Amino acid sequence: MIEISAISAFYGKHCALDGVSLNVGRGELVVILGANGAGKTTLLKAIGGLVPVAPGGRIAMAGRDLTGVPAHDIVAAGVALVPEGRGIFGEMTVRENLLLGAFPARARAAETRNLDLVLSLFPRLNERLRQTVRTMSGGEQQMVAIGRALMTAPDILLLDEPSLGLSPIMCKELFQSLARIRDAGLGIMLVEQNAKQSLKIADRGYLIESGRIVGAGTGVALSADPAVQRAYLGAG
Amino acid sequence: MTLTLDILLSGLVLGGMYALIALGLTLQYGIARIMNLSYGEFLVAAAFGALFLFTGMAINPILGLLLIVPASFAANWLLYRIVLTPLVKRAKNQGMLEVDSILGTFGVLFVIQGLMQVVFGGALQSYSYLSVPVHILGTTLAANRILALVFALIVGGALYVLLTRTRYGTALRAIAVNPVAAQLSGIDIAAASGLAFAAGGAIVGAGGVLISMFLTFSAASGVIFTMKALIVVIMGGVGNMMGALVAGLLLGIAETAVARLVDPGLTIAVTYALFLGALLWRPTGLFGRPAR
Repeated sequence: MIEISAISAFYGKHCALDGVSLNVGRGELVVILGANGAGKTTLLKAIGGLVPVAPGGRIAMAGRDLTGVPAHDIVAAGVALVPEGRGIFGEMTVRENLLLGAFPARARAAETRNLDLVLSLFPRLNERLRQTVRTMSGGEQQMVAIGRALMTAPDILLLDEPSLGLSPIMCKELFQSLARIRDAGLGIMLVEQNAKQSLKIADRGYLIESGRIVGAGTGVALSADPAVQRAYLGAG
Repeated sequence: MTLTLDILLSGLVLGGMYALIALGLTLQYGIARIMNLSYGEFLVAAAFGALFLFTGMAINPILGLLLIVPASFAANWLLYRIVLTPLVKRAKNQGMLEVDSILGTFGVLFVIQGLMQVVFGGALQSYSYLSVPVHILGTTLAANRILALVFALIVGGALYVLLTRTRYGTALRAIAVNPVAAQLSGIDIAAASGLAFAAGGAIVGAGGVLISMFLTFSAASGVIFTMKALIVVIMGGVGNMMGALVAGLLLGIAETAVARLVDPGLTIAVTYALFLGALLWRPTGLFGRPAR
């Protein structure tokens, strides 16, 4: 579905991303694991069009070249990013946030259906449609953020550390929701520090270190890999 | 009693104008992120336009709105596209764009003001349209002031409905709240900013026409209106429409009261005293959120 080949990104002279290649298929949940500063966030921002990709790299969605395309057109092509820090409209209501997600032309026809989907996925939002998002808890804000992204009717959902700052219970609920979204046929690329829970629901995973992919495998294989256990799962 | 009512009514009219022009500045500053120092020049240019249409072609200012508002919209859109877009593109961050746009529009201010000096001269101008007294609740008010207030309410109300009840209007507000999330919702910020800036220009054009119906103005008056719009925006809280309305009315009534009761020369002093008071009491504006 989305094919990323050899993309690099720089902040000034600092190379944050060094020739990363990966892909995510339809109905597939792929987790990207890595330490702080490994380039996970830059990777998602580069795909989402918020950080420029250095010449030589290519991002393609279902065969269509998206390299160098502005962020709002990448959304229109079916790639939705939920950035770290959530990317929501704090001063607006839940309803406004969700309906803003349906701004791209591709999302308008399915607006009502997607709203029903989001509200069935996160029933708590249904009671809070008129509440200002800024006044909600972190977990609820995360639901709004993911809901807003789903309203853009994406084929691929990119999530940057959605579990950050959530209680263990909220975290578990969140990962269950993500698995349900995947089962509905979306491709999900999930950047996470919470390796244990994310590998449990992941189909595949990549390991990223200093801006490079240093390992890849199925969720099960990565969970069993001693190196991964040492680095990310806190085992011996 | 009559004096109080008189002050309230006249203050309401003046304050309504301030609120209206502050709304336009909010669009330009809150959404397009341009601090436009030449804002008041467009107001004065619109006032001259209304004067020219009325005295030269016998077109009344209300009809004149139909010509001047679109013209001001177009002029501001061009200003954004030609002069400001290069600044937006090269700005690495919000602070840099703010400094660049202040300097850039400061230059535009002098260009427009100079052109108006050449074409219309430096004298104070006014014209007499519907300056017949109307009796309201025992006091009198000129008909043109009432008409100006009514049209300010219509324009402001229409803007409010557009911004809160339509998809594109909601998208414009979303840009003011969180530009990154707006992009990620598929909103083309560059195009929307140009449109918001032009819409702000349309509002100040309408304000200029309405104000010219009852106030005297000259080619040099623009700066005062820019300052007052800015003060109202900051007092009300940047991007807050309700705040702009309340702050605008407050300013209008305070100025009128001081001009009638003490001395007309003190209005500017009162403006700044009120501004200072509001900032000391609530630094983020009357309706602004507390800073985090």
